[in-house]
Parts: sequence; structure tokens; C-alpha cells
Amino acid sequence: MIDFISKFSVPGVIFFIVVIGYLKKVPVFDAFVEGAKEGASAAFEVLPVMVGILTAVSLINASGLIDILTSLVKGPLSLLGVPAEIVPILLIRPFSGSASLGLFTQQIKLFGADTYLGRTLSTIMGSSETVLYTLPVYFGAANVKDTRHAVAASLIASYTGMLVSIYICKFI
Amino acid sequence: MLNLIWVIMIFSGVVTGLLMGRTKEISDAVLASCVDSVQVVITMLGAMCLWSGIMRVAEKAGLVNKLAKLLKGVFRFLFPGLPKDHPANGAIAVSISADFLGLGSAATPLGIMAMKELSKVNNNSPVASNDMVMFGVINAVCIQMIPSTILIIRQQAGAVDPSSIMPTVWISSIMSTLAGIFAAKILEKRQMFFR
Repeated sequence: MIDFISKFSVPGVIFFIVVIGYLKKVPVFDAFVEGAKEGASAAFEVLPVMVGILTAVSLINASGLIDILTSLVKGPLSLLGVPAEIVPILLIRPFSGSASLGLFTQQIKLFGADTYLGRTLSTIMGSSETVLYTLPVYFGAANVKDTRHAVAASLIASYTGMLVSIYICKFI
Repeated sequence: MLNLIWVIMIFSGVVTGLLMGRTKEISDAVLASCVDSVQVVITMLGAMCLWSGIMRVAEKAGLVNKLAKLLKGVFRFLFPGLPKDHPANGAIAVSISADFLGLGSAATPLGIMAMKELSKVNNNSPVASNDMVMFGVINAVCIQMIPSTILIIRQQAGAVDPSSIMPTVWISSIMSTLAGIFAAKILEKRQMFFR
């Protein structure tokens, strides 16, 4: 069922909107092209932002910084009940979607999908976003220079979710 | 704050790479990331056209307005600065619904469109409004009903029941969303420290 919903959601939504639009006498194709033109120019405006973010992220990933940071913070974090194996994902998740997904795929095979570590990693990945990718892209597209408290609030949210995942998987 | 984070990332990446003797790796990574960015944007370009086009149809059919009316109460609390009948209401409603339904390819394009509408309400100022920050935070947390990518990876890793993580995913998502909303509401009053 879940499988069907996730596979059918995209064509389903398109079908629903276009059919309803046609029944309501909207010139559907004209409206579509008009909207799509706006979308195309918005996507190009995102490119410079994207180059900036991905360059910085790739430097971090390739430099081995995550390994060093992991060995630095895993001691203090273990006092909070955070297993050392989870620390790399905690560090990389807000920065890089592809790197965290790659790490997750490796680790879940190593620890097993149904173990505590496997379930915790899955929960973290399923309930968090790449904060430092989402925010610059959205605000960059809107030409905002000063994002004020957006980064701080998003990181607070993200780490709250990740800590909740770590604790809750011990009970469920 | 993004300026500072960017400098820190570049500085620490390059210095660590040097000290660890990974000069070649980091230099390859920088060049590869330029290619990656173009690839991401090209991929997004199609999705962006598709979804903004479909949304224009939905808008003209009155569907977007209906969705916005449905979420009116929540919006008054989350985005108090938003004029009642501004198109931004519809754009945000559609974008959050796409997130929730897990329409991966649609979520980013629709989110960008909604952020642009919010920016219009803010007179296209270079300083984000409270409503824009709130919308950014809601998008930076994950409100997704079915994390399909993760479920597929779990299946490949031999999980007995890949979807057994759904309850914990939902609880964590709700907690992080609430934390984000409260953090944004509290920090918007004392923004000085977090710029």
C-alpha cells in the first residue's frame, strides 16, 4: 500500500489537477506553459547559489574533517547517550544530502537494518533535511542577503529531531 | 550568518585537507562540485518547469485557493505578517502539502516559488521577514509522511519490515518541527545575537 502511494503520488497529483482544471474550463496547456516559463528562470537563478554551497561541502567531505570532528566530540556525546557510531551522521546530515545518504547506506549494511543502530540511523535520515542546502537555495532564489535567525532556528530544530530519534529508538 | 558559515566551511576544509595530506582530493572535489552543481540545476530545471506549470493550472482552477483556505488557521499563527488574500498563501500551502506527500521533485521548486511570493510581501527587501524565516525553517525540517528513499535502502539492507521505522520517523519529525517553530518565534524577538 505504502509502496503504491509513494509510486503513484506524482502522476496522481498531475492527473487530478489537469483533469479538474479542464473540467473548470481552464486553458490547461496555455496555463502550464506560462507557469513553466517562470519555473525555468527561477531554476537558473539558483545555479550560482548551488555552486557556492556544493564547493564548500565538497571541501569538507574530501578533507577528512568529519573524521577528526567525530573523534573529538564522540566522548562528550556518549555522556548524553549518543552512540559513537551515530556521530558522523549527526555531523554531516545538516550539510550534505548526498554524503549523509552514502554514509547511511554503508552503515546500515554494516550494523543491520533491524538493530538499534540501524533503526536509529534510518529514523534520523527519514526525519531530517539538509539544512545548509535548503536555506541558501530558498533565500538565494529570493535574493535575500540577511537570513537573520533562520540558520540558528533550523539547526536547533534539526538537532532536536536527531536527539529525539536516538532516544525514542531505545523504546520503540 | 550564511557568510560566516561559508567562510568557516571553506577555511576548515582547505586547512584540514592540507594538514592531512589530501591536497589532491580536495582540489579534485572542488572541480567535481562545479559539475555536480550544474547537474543538480539541470535536473531541477525540468522539475521546476513541470511543477510551476502544473501549479499554474491548479491556481487557475481554484484548487490552490481551496487548499489555502483549509490551512487558514495555522497560517495566521505561523505567518502573521501575511495579507489574507495574497497569492503567497496559496504558494505556501501547496509547497507544504508537496513536502508532506513526499513529492520529492516538486518540493524544492514549489518552495522556491513560495519564498519568492513571500519576498514580494516583504517588498523584495534583502533582509528576510519573520514570515520568510518561518517558512525557511519549516522547509529545513522534514515533514514527510513516507520517506521512500530511506525505505528502499532499508529494504536493500535486508530489513524484515522496512516500514517499521515509520512511527519513530513521525515522532521525530513532529518534535523537530515544533522545536523549529518555537525557536523561530523566540529568536525573532532577539535576533541581534544570531545574525
